[in-house]
Amino acid sequence: MQQSLEHIRNLVQAIHPLTETEWQGLERIWTPVNYKRKEILTRAGEKEKYLYFVLEGIQRVVYYDEKGREATIVFTYPYSFGGVLDALMQQTPSMYFYETLSPSSFLRAPFFKLEELMYIHANINTMIRKGITAALSGVLERLTELQCFSSEEKFRKLLQRSPHILQMIPHKYLANYLGIDPSNFSKLINSVRI
Amino acid sequence: MKPINKAALLNRLEERVEQHIREAVSIFQNLPVSILLRPAENGGWSIAQCLDHLNGYGNYYFPLIKNGLDNHKGYPSKSTFRSSWLGNYFTRMMDPETGKKKMKAFKNHIPSSQLDAYTVVAEFIQQQEALLHFLKRAELADLNKIRIPVSIAKFIKLNLGDVFQFIIAHNERHIQQAKRNIKGIEKSETKYGRREQVNG
Repeated sequence: MQQSLEHIRNLVQAIHPLTETEWQGLERIWTPVNYKRKEILTRAGEKEKYLYFVLEGIQRVVYYDEKGREATIVFTYPYSFGGVLDALMQQTPSMYFYETLSPSSFLRAPFFKLEELMYIHANINTMIRKGITAALSGVLERLTELQCFSSEEKFRKLLQRSPHILQMIPHKYLANYLGIDPSNFSKLINSVRI
Repeated sequence: MKPINKAALLNRLEERVEQHIREAVSIFQNLPVSILLRPAENGGWSIAQCLDHLNGYGNYYFPLIKNGLDNHKGYPSKSTFRSSWLGNYFTRMMDPETGKKKMKAFKNHIPSSQLDAYTVVAEFIQQQEALLHFLKRAELADLNKIRIPVSIAKFIKLNLGDVFQFIIAHNERHIQQAKRNIKGIEKSETKYGRREQVNG
């Protein structure tokens, strides 16, 4: 547990440094949880009760429409925060599912405890704001890539950013994330040299 | 056969399926088409053929398993499971640990040599994810009550616990066979990044 908390501490300090007292408040709210492959942590229509911190495995936030189509919005990995962030911060029903794509372990914190700390400690509030802003920035960048890049460019970019991901999760999820056909994805695997 | 603890059995099977998915994800799906389709050195099945053979069993059994679990609602769950003599015999015959003899595939289960290799691997992974889901649902079922006709002789029915064990032992057998095909091929060749001709 102590070692896992150390991972959060490192990330938090990199986003926005906290004082020792603030950190002592923050480190108390986490509980370890484990999930197997393809388990659902958050369902569409439910509130997001927890902020997750990923210790192991890969997960995705995914949207399903009524016709069974799916859109992989974002992957989460160690050591970073996970969950459906908009539903968490607004405490509104989630539009998305949060599910594991490989066996996963997390620390999770109930939102009400985090919110309490955000009211008490200015630095925790700032840290969360900066973290959310960085996440927004990532989403906007990805939106740009989705609209401008060719399939091959998107594929190369993904592998630059996360070179090991091809060996970690089924390729269909990667193809879906990039918005390309799974058969095109396999052609890229055979033809693109990184 | 003696009754055994159901949760422990399902757990053991789940771990085995998890291992099969991990191998397909970390190895098979990243191999070039030419290696997936290359026949074994002894003239036996290619990796894609091994997996296609397994997919054929999944195509037959999985809708029946789903049906069995769907129609089982309302029945009480049971904490133990008892293998039938025949189910145990099939599983031991299929499991590479206990069934060392080489077998011939039944005629409806012989894979084509013209395969879309990546589609076969993707289908295999998809099926194994479905199998994990069934194992999870089976926690709330009575494994002896749900009965499923076997693919090669539909007048014989096996209970769901035996069907799970038999399918997963059979998967293990052919995944080991597929992995033997990679052995001998140089490591550098199997690594992602090698330029290969795309098939189809």
